[in-house]
Amino acid sequence: MNQMEEAKRSYDAVPIPQELSERVLSEIKKADLRRKGIQMLQKKRMAKRTLASAAAAVVLFTGALNTSTAFAETVSTLPVIGAVAKVLTFRSWETETDDLKISVEIPSVEMIAQEFKGIEKSVNEEIHGLCQKYADEAVKRAEEYKAAFLATGGTEEEWAAHNIQIQVGYEVKNQTEDHLSLLITGNENWSSAYSEMRYYNFDLKKGQLLTLEDILGSSYAEKAEASIRSQMEERQKVQNIGYWEEIPVIDENTRFYVNEQGNPVIVFEAYEVAPGSAGAQEFEIVK
Amino acid sequence: MRQDLYDKLVSYILEDQNKFYRLAFSYVRCQEDALDVVQSAVCKALEHYGMLKNEEAIKTWFYRILVNESLMLLRQKKRMVLSGDEVMEEPAYEEKAFEAQDDFTVHLNHLEEDVQEIIRLRFFEELSLKEIAQIRELNLNTVKAKLSRGLRD
Repeated sequence: MNQMEEAKRSYDAVPIPQELSERVLSEIKKADLRRKGIQMLQKKRMAKRTLASAAAAVVLFTGALNTSTAFAETVSTLPVIGAVAKVLTFRSWETETDDLKISVEIPSVEMIAQEFKGIEKSVNEEIHGLCQKYADEAVKRAEEYKAAFLATGGTEEEWAAHNIQIQVGYEVKNQTEDHLSLLITGNENWSSAYSEMRYYNFDLKKGQLLTLEDILGSSYAEKAEASIRSQMEERQKVQNIGYWEEIPVIDENTRFYVNEQGNPVIVFEAYEVAPGSAGAQEFEIVK
Repeated sequence: MRQDLYDKLVSYILEDQNKFYRLAFSYVRCQEDALDVVQSAVCKALEHYGMLKNEEAIKTWFYRILVNESLMLLRQKKRMVLSGDEVMEEPAYEEKAFEAQDDFTVHLNHLEEDVQEIIRLRFFEELSLKEIAQIRELNLNTVKAKLSRGLRD
């Protein structure tokens, strides 16, 4: 079997091109994206359902509006954005290690009007939990990525060049006297697969979370879908975006914010209704 | 559960990718082609991981995809050469000259293709006969017979 051993040696001596691990990794990432595309809808529904139940549980929090004095003091020094509600950074931190840089900015919504019955407290709790969870998971994902990268022949120096960054933050999409729209985002610079976007819309007059139904009426789903379809057709012509045939069902879990005119703007993430290259797609539904 | 299996598949691929490349290379004998084969095998495996039954089957299942991809590429190449208007190439010629230093490998290359394949899987990849039978979708006895024929010749 000496010859056999020799042959095996020459078999094992076939040089492995550097490109191999890159190509294998790129396939894995592609597959992750595909899976994400399928899971996104289910996940989104789940997430929004928790929000709905949080809103339903609001009544229970009525008595617990007051926050700590320290917090209240910080609050009073921050600029007021609107007359009845303000959004401020509740907690913000940034760390940088050799491996990654993470910056987190967690917002809080403070309602001034009395009739809010503590709704912001439950929403705030949910927002804080969401931000923290995303940050924790993103760090874990980055660590896993690093382990895989090193295990497949990458060096520490090459890894350092990746410059991994994680950002959790928020944006006030729009605020008028009547409503406030807040967007919570989570991003990782090395993978778009786990980006998180969550919108919160408050009706400042009634002191509750806004739904599409509140704005568009009971036939909101049909109305929105018709409008989206016609806008898609237009964009298809002008920008040559190849939309999927099926669009996600419009229901109480659909992501949207309210623009200055008071119209809801429905937001689909990249891959949700069109190829990823087209990016996120927004559709304003005129009342 | 499903997610778990998917993660296991991914880590298996990451861990054994060099082996995949060597096996693919032993079929297609060219770096670019071998890379293509591994890449499309990974792509197919991840796309169809739902067909994977359990963790124990990962290896044979993946090897089957890999071997099929390699054979498919060889078939395509053959077809391309035959249908081309350009000067006909004789792809096997170069390959034999390249391996000329190694008596055994030359010998191996002269055997029937499926016998070669079994020898490679058995001795280079150190798979069991049963695993080979599963990968090539052959009867265990057929594999045994082919192997002993290959070793005798």
